Amino acid sequence: MENGIATQGEGRDPSGFLSEIIGSSVTVKLNSGVVYKGELQSVDGYMNIALEKTEEHVNGVKKRSYGDAFVRGNNVMYISAD
Amino acid sequence: MADVDDGAAAPVSEPLDLVRLCLDEVVFVKLRGDRELKGRLHAYDSHCNLVLGDVEETVYVVEEDEDEDGDETVKTIHKKSEMLFVRGDSVVLISPQGQS
Amino acid sequence: MSFFGFDSTLPRDRGHNTRAPGFSQAADPFAGPRPEDDDDALDFEDTYDGLGDQLDETDDVFNDDTFGDDAGPVTKKPVGKDFDFFGQTAKVSDAINEEQLRFSRQAPSSRGPPTTSTFPQPLPKPARTGYERYKEPDYVPDMQVDANLWGVAPKQPAQAPAFGSPMNPGIPSGGRKMMSLEEVEASMRAQAKKPAQPQHPVQQQQSAPQQYSQTPQQQYQDYPPQQQQQQFSQPQQLPFQSSGPPREEARPAHVGHPHQPVQIMQRSQPTPNQPIAPTAPSQPTQILQNPNRYSAEQHRSAPAVQHPVQHPGHQSRPSGSRHIITHPQQLANLSDEERAAFLMEDAKRAKRNHKIFLLSKDNGLMTPQDKNFITRIQLQQLVTATGNPNEHGSDPSLSEDFYYQVHNQIRGGPRQHPGQPLSNFAQTYLFQTGGRHGGLRRQARGGDNHMQRMEQQVQRAVEAAKNKPKNKQLVIEGSLGKISFSNAKTPKPLLNIKRADSAADTHRPSKAHQVGVSGSDRKTVLTDIENVYSTLMQLEDHERLMPPPLENDDINPELAGFHIDWREKEEKLNRKLWRDLKVHEPIGATTTHPFIAFLSFSKGKKCIPRVFRHITQEQRTTILTMIVIHLDQLDVVRQGLLQPGEVQLNSATRENIELFSLAVMHTLFGYLNEAGLDIVTGLLGLILNINIDVIARTRIGVSMLTMLLSRAELIKQAGSNEREWDQWVGIYNAFFDALEPTLPNIFPGTVNTGEDVYVWQFLAAIGIGASPEQQQRLVMAVKDRVMETVAHAKTLPTAMSSQRLANVNLFMRSIGLDVELLA
Repeated sequence: MENGIATQGEGRDPSGFLSEIIGSSVTVKLNSGVVYKGELQSVDGYMNIALEKTEEHVNGVKKRSYGDAFVRGNNVMYISAD
Repeated sequence: MADVDDGAAAPVSEPLDLVRLCLDEVVFVKLRGDRELKGRLHAYDSHCNLVLGDVEETVYVVEEDEDEDGDETVKTIHKKSEMLFVRGDSVVLISPQGQS
Repeated sequence: MSFFGFDSTLPRDRGHNTRAPGFSQAADPFAGPRPEDDDDALDFEDTYDGLGDQLDETDDVFNDDTFGDDAGPVTKKPVGKDFDFFGQTAKVSDAINEEQLRFSRQAPSSRGPPTTSTFPQPLPKPARTGYERYKEPDYVPDMQVDANLWGVAPKQPAQAPAFGSPMNPGIPSGGRKMMSLEEVEASMRAQAKKPAQPQHPVQQQQSAPQQYSQTPQQQYQDYPPQQQQQQFSQPQQLPFQSSGPPREEARPAHVGHPHQPVQIMQRSQPTPNQPIAPTAPSQPTQILQNPNRYSAEQHRSAPAVQHPVQHPGHQSRPSGSRHIITHPQQLANLSDEERAAFLMEDAKRAKRNHKIFLLSKDNGLMTPQDKNFITRIQLQQLVTATGNPNEHGSDPSLSEDFYYQVHNQIRGGPRQHPGQPLSNFAQTYLFQTGGRHGGLRRQARGGDNHMQRMEQQVQRAVEAAKNKPKNKQLVIEGSLGKISFSNAKTPKPLLNIKRADSAADTHRPSKAHQVGVSGSDRKTVLTDIENVYSTLMQLEDHERLMPPPLENDDINPELAGFHIDWREKEEKLNRKLWRDLKVHEPIGATTTHPFIAFLSFSKGKKCIPRVFRHITQEQRTTILTMIVIHLDQLDVVRQGLLQPGEVQLNSATRENIELFSLAVMHTLFGYLNEAGLDIVTGLLGLILNINIDVIARTRIGVSMLTMLLSRAELIKQAGSNEREWDQWVGIYNAFFDALEPTLPNIFPGTVNTGEDVYVWQFLAAIGIGASPEQQQRLVMAVKDRVMETVAHAKTLPTAMSSQRLANVNLFMRSIGLDVELLA
């Protein structure tokens, strides 16, 4: 999945990349600085994100874990595939 | 699965589906401004406007100690509401709180 | 460091820093000699306040930290505002030019003791005099010219850093200082002989002897009061002090005096104060630079003197000797208040003079056209920088704008309304400049024309800015009214992401979806439930669209067609619902059957009544069968077992059970009431295959059994065919045999809890269908509980007691007995 951008045609744009990394573990950083790590279940056009087996990290310290987590898109700074 | 053609294959095909699955379940909602809600999700919409029942709200307030400067203690305030409407723009995260 | 030591600053530097009424200095009506003559007008003895003797210089390194880099905070901060006419930048050139002018004119300016100052100001250090800010390339030449004016310039720049450098403050001020000190001292002494009377018109009245005589006095005063007390006996001190400035004849006696204490001090305090004595002669220069310190010291040290009241002259002497040369005696006779008032007034006057000077000194430097040109540039910049004045957003840009800041400083008032500043400013500014031109420069007629044109220009610019269309926001009509895109609250979709459930994507081999196959995964179950609900809603919606019923005779092809379509749709939805319910998933393929998992969620339970309305009888049977088969797997059964020691189930489980009996059992009961005996027999037979012991000890299990048994009894009473009944009896007997070992344990909790109605109902249901032999076994099994309950009922209030007994009687009557018989 990591090289999805390079190899697959649909990975050349952001949405392609996002559909490509669905199911893999990702890091989602919010504008507030909070980081969520988990398996990406899905993303939508608003950058709303559904994560699975999510860990919440605040200032690098793990704070909580969620089975599932929905993150509202307006808070998202980035999504990165691990 | 027998019914793949029905589109029911993927439990979560878009993020809001996750919220949909939480309907009538107890959810944890993280809001802006260090607030958290726990309550039964009665309704939601695409803006993440939520209707929650039997809500317990937790507010985290950072207080600075006067005597030792620099020291901060986080105080939590708990509130309970029977029913809440949460405007979507303050929502940061929604997570089901059931047995997971 | 030269904090109190040798003054190594350049004359131009210190001259400017302390006495030139430049950017940061208050105009000093009593300003002393100009920098060029600062070495000859005053002596160390005149000015040295003695503070230096007390100072420990070892930590001078930290002076920078304490007082900041530039001129000390004391010299800078409290002043400044008074004639901050043109803002920071404008002051640069002002100060420079002013200095130049003043020096060239040699206009005497007076210096007053700043009465507000309450503590000594740190000595300004060379190369930190505030000039560094203005070391623009174009400024340097001016500096050199100035230096020539002072007649010292060229060699000094090299020297200055060596002496005044803050880098060697810790060095015991030894040889280096001594050397230069002596030189300076010599020159100072030499110059002191010819007091700068031309420069000090006021001083002219003072006699030379007076000036000389000041020296020893000053020196005496320099010693810290404590030391005075130590060194001199009281008798000595008294006559000495009483011989203040007014008594000139007394002074010569004391001339020699000071030297002695200095030496004594040197001995007693060897290390830290050692430099003091040698440096002493050089100190006048410091004082010169820092008159504030001096005068402040005088105020401060006064109370510290042992007999201040006895020696009023002691206080007044310094100011008299130095600042207002004409008034030593007068001032001395004045009260503190009067003196302060006098000084204040003088300071004000000087300030005003200085203001006038500042305003007029540059006259003629620029032609009116030049000024208009500049003003136009400024205004244009302002307009472009601020944009639309009606936008509140322009505020920050406005505050960043230099010219606006300048304007604000000029006005000094609070920030105006955001909508106003631009035009207001423009007009104000234009009027001001225009007025000045009209008033001061008669020949500036052309300038007025320019002003008018410029005014028009500004007006046009403002108009244009006002008319500039606001940022058009993308606005669309949404279901919730107008929705403007792309703000934080209502974001617009940033990405066009393919829906994973779109037809093309269903076969995507996605990791996340693989778990769905298990069917018992929580999320899958939840999805199933949601799908059921949506289908249910579709069905319910469809129900409302049902076409009017067909009349028997009237064959309306169109209506019939509607009916056919409707039914088709309904069947389709029904099939969908059935699929969503997952009832037909293979049993045993997963640990928990999807449908049973479905029922473990409260919303799954809740939907059963609604589902039953839309499914066929056959489907209902299937559901009931599924439930019965998995009876021991239902969460309400698995969790409904009381563990040993537990008296009550936890509230969540109880809630769950309550919900199940209300939603599911009730629905099933309604269905079962229409079911035939064959079905009931079949179901009971199914139960035989599973763990009856578990089922019989849970409320839901017992309810289910009761339901089946009572239904069978009802059917029997209604009359049924023999074969079916025989089948039933066979199953029932097997069931009774299986149940019997559990019977003593089927009561939940103790007698006290009293939540055992359903058990009595169950026992009654068993008892009705039981053979007399079975009834006897039944009574034997539950006898203890019956007796306990009856006994317990007697201890209870009547209402509760009768309730309990009634419960027991449910069972007793079913087997032809009554609690009354036990009493």
